[in-house]
Amino acid sequence: MRDNGNKRARLFSIRYLFYDFVKVTAIPGYLWFRPKRIYANPEAKKKIKGGALVISNHVGFSDPVVIMLAIWYRRHHFICIKDFFEGRLRLLFKGFHCIPIDKENFGMDSFRIITDHLKNGEVVSMFPEGHVNTDADNGLDQFKSGMVLMSVMSGKPIVPVYIHKREHIYNRTKIAIGEPVDIVALHGARPSMTQIEETAAMLREREQELEKLITGGKKNAFTK
Amino acid sequence: MQLTRSEIVEELKKILITSDEKNRALVERCTEDWELTTDFGFTSIGILYIVIAVEETFGIRFENVSMSDFRTLGNVVDYIEEKLQ
Repeated sequence: MRDNGNKRARLFSIRYLFYDFVKVTAIPGYLWFRPKRIYANPEAKKKIKGGALVISNHVGFSDPVVIMLAIWYRRHHFICIKDFFEGRLRLLFKGFHCIPIDKENFGMDSFRIITDHLKNGEVVSMFPEGHVNTDADNGLDQFKSGMVLMSVMSGKPIVPVYIHKREHIYNRTKIAIGEPVDIVALHGARPSMTQIEETAAMLREREQELEKLITGGKKNAFTK
Repeated sequence: MQLTRSEIVEELKKILITSDEKNRALVERCTEDWELTTDFGFTSIGILYIVIAVEETFGIRFENVSMSDFRTLGNVVDYIEEKLQ
């Protein structure tokens, strides 16, 4: 069942014309707003190749843009609630190939779409807290464990990133990038539900460590 | 694959135990009208996990279904039975 193939997303595809056009025209914006990247270790600094699930804390509505700017060399497919596909901005979300899900009633079809993207060597990005955490000063909320199941079923790693809100308009947003976590290597192709829940908690701890890299000013952080 | 309803239930019970050894005590005394969320304490991801395991075990594919479609153990058995026919 698990796909061990190492597929890579295509460099050019007509499907991504809108996405790539916006990306190219946004280069001046990228230079101005680019976040300060901090890497947990040299392994984390390596470019993401093939399919990967990028997870991040969610402190504001600009977080997807911050992630796209930080991991600029890959196209991201953000998982978002289906309500966004019903509003005025639906064309934008479609153009950016976001994946709609029903948070209250998650369906098998959405799950397959996500794992298919990952198996096809694409990057899927999501916020496992499940909502914008307006009270981020009190720490991260619990992570939902669906991401672990997505990673297991696709056989692709999870890349944790932590976004630190900028304190002033003149400051750059900081983002800490952790090393990819291969869930299948940790627990095998069929972990139990307890292991899945534990892994979700472990990934939350990884995010907390990334937070410390930024706020604690750890000296061995690799910045770019 | 031709299976009787009781065989499907037995296979399903095995899946529930494999998914988490903690379920063993509950599975041994459960009936078809047990609710997956309230009686077993499964989250939507727990149900998704079982659905994936069922697909692999019975060689079927769940289509156009969401987790709320499976309220009780019996609902899952009904779906498998229907798909196997």
